[in-house]
Amino acid sequence: MTDVLQAPGLDRVAIELVVNGVPRRLVVEPRETLAEVLRDRLDLRGAKVSCDAQVCGACTVLVDALPVSGCTFLAVDADGRRVGTVEGLATDGELSPLQQAFIDQAAFQCGFCTPGMLMAATALLEEQPHPSRDDVVHGLEGNICRCTGYEPIIAAVLQAAGGDMPSSRREEVPAVTSAEAGGDPLDPGTEPVESQQ
Amino acid sequence: MIPRFRLARPATLDEAFAAFEAANGDAAYVAGGTELLQVMKMGFAQFDTLVDLKGIPELHGIEGDGGGLRIGATTTHREIERSPAVADAFPALVGLVRSVANTRVRSTGTLGGNLAFAEPHSDPATLLLASDAVLELAGPAGRRETTVSEFVVGPLSTTREPDEVLVRVRIPAAKPGEGRAYAKLAFFERPAASVAVRVTVDGGVVRSATVAVGSLTEVPELVPDAAAALVGADAGDGALNEAIAGGIATLGSLDAVEDLNGSADYKRHLAGVLFASTARAAIAEAVGHD
Amino acid sequence: MRHVVTRPDVPAPIGVPVPRRDGVAKVTGAAAFTVDLSVPGMAHAKILRSPYAHARIRRVDLDAARAHPGVIAVVSAAELDDVHLVYGHAVADHPLIAVDKVRFAGEPVVGVVAEDAVTAEEALRLIDIEWEPLPFVRDTAEALGDDAPVLHERPGEQRPHRGFEEDIRRTHANVCSSSRQAWGDIAAAFSDAHLVVEGEYHYPMCYAYAMEPYTALAQWSDDGLTVWTSGQHPYMVRDDLAHCFDLPLAKVRVVVPYVGGGYGSKSYTKIEPLTAALALRAGRPVRLALSVEEAILTTRGDAATVRLRTAFDREGHILGRHATIHLDTGAYAENSPLVGRKAANRLGGPYRILALDVTCDVVYTNTAPASSFRGFGAPQVTLAGESQLDEAAAKLGIDPLALRRRNVLDPGERPWPKARGIDADLAGDLALAAEELGWDAPLPPGRGRGICLSASDAGSEPITTAIVRVLADGSIVASCGSTEIGQGSSTVLAQIAAAEMGVELDRVHLIQSDTAAVSYDRSTGASRTTTLMGLAIQAAARDLREQLVEWATTALAPDGPAVEERRSGVQVGDTLHDWGEVVRAWFGGAAGEAVGRGYLRRSGATAEMPPFWEIGCVGVEVSVDEQTGRITIEKLVTVGDIGCAINPQTAEAQDVGAAMMGLGMATLEELVYEDGNLLNGNLFDYRVPRTTNLPELRTVLVERGDGVGVYGAKGGGEGALNPVAAAIANAVERAAGIRLREAPFTPERVWRAIQERDAGVAR
Repeated sequence: MTDVLQAPGLDRVAIELVVNGVPRRLVVEPRETLAEVLRDRLDLRGAKVSCDAQVCGACTVLVDALPVSGCTFLAVDADGRRVGTVEGLATDGELSPLQQAFIDQAAFQCGFCTPGMLMAATALLEEQPHPSRDDVVHGLEGNICRCTGYEPIIAAVLQAAGGDMPSSRREEVPAVTSAEAGGDPLDPGTEPVESQQ
Repeated sequence: MIPRFRLARPATLDEAFAAFEAANGDAAYVAGGTELLQVMKMGFAQFDTLVDLKGIPELHGIEGDGGGLRIGATTTHREIERSPAVADAFPALVGLVRSVANTRVRSTGTLGGNLAFAEPHSDPATLLLASDAVLELAGPAGRRETTVSEFVVGPLSTTREPDEVLVRVRIPAAKPGEGRAYAKLAFFERPAASVAVRVTVDGGVVRSATVAVGSLTEVPELVPDAAAALVGADAGDGALNEAIAGGIATLGSLDAVEDLNGSADYKRHLAGVLFASTARAAIAEAVGHD
Repeated sequence: MRHVVTRPDVPAPIGVPVPRRDGVAKVTGAAAFTVDLSVPGMAHAKILRSPYAHARIRRVDLDAARAHPGVIAVVSAAELDDVHLVYGHAVADHPLIAVDKVRFAGEPVVGVVAEDAVTAEEALRLIDIEWEPLPFVRDTAEALGDDAPVLHERPGEQRPHRGFEEDIRRTHANVCSSSRQAWGDIAAAFSDAHLVVEGEYHYPMCYAYAMEPYTALAQWSDDGLTVWTSGQHPYMVRDDLAHCFDLPLAKVRVVVPYVGGGYGSKSYTKIEPLTAALALRAGRPVRLALSVEEAILTTRGDAATVRLRTAFDREGHILGRHATIHLDTGAYAENSPLVGRKAANRLGGPYRILALDVTCDVVYTNTAPASSFRGFGAPQVTLAGESQLDEAAAKLGIDPLALRRRNVLDPGERPWPKARGIDADLAGDLALAAEELGWDAPLPPGRGRGICLSASDAGSEPITTAIVRVLADGSIVASCGSTEIGQGSSTVLAQIAAAEMGVELDRVHLIQSDTAAVSYDRSTGASRTTTLMGLAIQAAARDLREQLVEWATTALAPDGPAVEERRSGVQVGDTLHDWGEVVRAWFGGAAGEAVGRGYLRRSGATAEMPPFWEIGCVGVEVSVDEQTGRITIEKLVTVGDIGCAINPQTAEAQDVGAAMMGLGMATLEELVYEDGNLLNGNLFDYRVPRTTNLPELRTVLVERGDGVGVYGAKGGGEGALNPVAAAIANAVERAAGIRLREAPFTPERVWRAIQERDAGVAR
């Protein structure tokens, strides 16, 4: 911690972060971003850098519970503050309800956006424990996912909030019928069996 | 990647000026860094030293000011968005900051940084221009005040001296019967067009009006002709339509800049669409205060 | 999700939406992507790129960069005279680093290797290059001009790439391939026509934006070369690396960890040869991790200009189609010749067309190279083809859906003489889409609906192998060269192995995409993995079971009774032995394992090409804001006709993701060039869909068991993208009376069309 002025400025700064509850002291260059420090020095490689322009949200981490873009937020600016990353979401190996909901809803495909998405959603649920669908849509507008089309992500956040999730997207597949019969064996001659989920 | 730089973290303005001086002018002030660090990352700017203003208490915070507001330059968008004082005195500003970039940028980006960077598509500059906001600056040579129109002189260009610091923004109290509104259309990260309208209504008639457009032109601009079209109009519906149509016509002469959002023509058209809605919103608010 | 199932019964866990096996790793941050890997002694590379669209390199001065503290190696083409610099799987025209000249702004010219990436970037600024700018071509129209500047003075060496050898024809100095698809009497079709619809359609240059930019890590050792990469096709990359560095295939190891999105953009070779060359010169392992800005300049999608005429009879039957397609492949051929071949094949759509004549030229321009991208020629041509069906429907006074029903191919009917018959019930798919969209329901003003189809000759070449092993405890290891790129292959292929061996899913371990550990697969693309790798795994499992039954006879019942094969083992008399017991008994101890081999080639079920047809069936309802020109997609219906959903959850997810990507390209996405420079080569200005672009979704999965793959499966994951732009254009016409022929349908384009419409009305 230093507020001491040293002309012409420091090229190394000693900082202390509390990362996922664990105090970490280290010396960084002022240019180092929080994402670089987390990934390359603290070996917490969950947060991903994608657009590197504060647009996509893949590098979202929390500083004092607020979401920031790790790609541009300087590590020195996290000095003395609490930093939350995806690695801190599970406790004692048990997934958080949000993480579990992401698995249940298949709210990821390639998974590159997922750590940032989870942290953005964590911050959202912190502020709005019972968000509406619209709250989630607008709350996550600044996080890009190129794989899922977002629907499962929104469903997962609503599931984690215990809110108005659309009826389970993971329902068991209905019993199948034979192609020869061309329909439900219990009701021959009808349309193919269907389930409306 | 962000290039290497040295960091000074002053606790007072005088320390900030000294740090700037010590770098022989090869320095820049930084607060949230959402604009400056991005530009440095892209290789468009490099400095020996960055002087971090976030540790200077004087630059931070929101105070009510007899119905007006004094917002410190390093106050973040998020802090403005959640400030009861701002909600009370200037609801249009709350709506504006709520739509700036994304939640992460709003957590770190500052009002002062936004204004000092002077991106032509800046949201706050347009509304503050229409609101007669006063900008307070301090430098080694002393303090001064200026207006948004004097301050922003070109794309990414202001009258701030390199060693000067934007201290705070003063927003005057709304007059009796005053209404203010801001709206934008955005297809990308930054708006394609934005319009701010401020009016006073007395006895059901628009007595004064100020209109500013943003994102169209190289700097946010006042459009006195559009404002004049509103003055004297009956705030009731029929007459207002005509006044608004008159105002829209005056936007046709704006020196709009084509960009990825669209051609100059189209952007002028969007400004007209926004002018109609913001004029109505501002007048409705004014009528409520009348 | 609505689920329509008429296929035969399938064994567990097929058809079960088991949780994705990469789930825990991906939600805890543990999943390692290439950029998360490091090896001891690893150094970092940065690339100096051309500022010019077309220029000769006069002089390169690297001394100052070399002298910069922390720099290990500074490498231009001159430092690589022992490397075959030019690669390319179809047309070898692409130098891994610029040789003598550059052909697009952004082309790699010099690589710097340093102890850390910031130092490497600092050194880039110390490099001095003397350029001689050359005249350049901006687009295909300019490139095809008589006196156009020529990008490639000499044609690239043609590579034997099965399926389109005859297409590699330099019909113009700036054309790298020209594909033709034709049948029937085209002249007669048009002379007999009651109606001819004619138009020119533009599909934009798009960027796939796989969120993980291209990354590679190369390490040389006495054993050869190892490269970890974000690429989709490890074996294709291996082949190019072996060529560039003159190595036996066996000495090149390519490993693909988790991939942060591909969508085709990580098909084939990208930065791996350059990274390996830098590592060679540096004498150190080197990581090259591109930024998104650099990734955009590495590969984009092919822009297309499609001139199409379609002839109809009075009842709306399609008599003929004539098209000329120009694909803009940018500076290098990459995979665009194949995209061009597919564009020509896919233009007809899944319709009965008496005569067709399509020519598709792949044209060089001085822009970033284009290559594979989800949909692969189909989105480009489907916009044209499906637009014209609605244009004709309006002119003939026929409901667009009825017009499609009238022309759509019946199951088994061949789109063209030698092609596999359509393995889908397209009329059934259309009916489902119409039902979900509410095709006949009244529309509020300012709204419109569109339903469009596509059929893609997908699956690529069936050159695929797999190995399935039973270990001594009866657990299963399946290994394959298919890559987990987010599509869920790690889950689906394990489900297939579990079903085929009759074991619980958690007894199966799947190894993917390490050329030193798994056997050959051509590629992970063309929606082929579930179908083709599924078949290969099935074949390996069956080979394995055959052996195990034999072993059981030898080891457990040499003198009878007869060994009977059961789902999860063998029965000898009253005793059921699982596969592990058979293995142990045969080896006569507690150890050993059995190995099954699966090979797939053009033979048997996969003799006919394409291996399967990938169906796209999408419906949309749109609203148009006439003031701003902004289109809102209110409702989106996807019908996933995939034969058998091995995992319905991942299958549905692929459809939704593809359709949303299509929505982006239809309404938002376009790389904009001005005078050879890319204006929006970053995520700030290149807009992809966000949560707020998500329409109300209705998804349908249809399983009729009609695919060539395991349990009747066929490919998905691209189909739902292909018809989206056309569906939106058609819906907009019905909403606002304007015909959009140039994607993306930006607010300004829509607004201008509305202005023209109103001017027309006023006249």
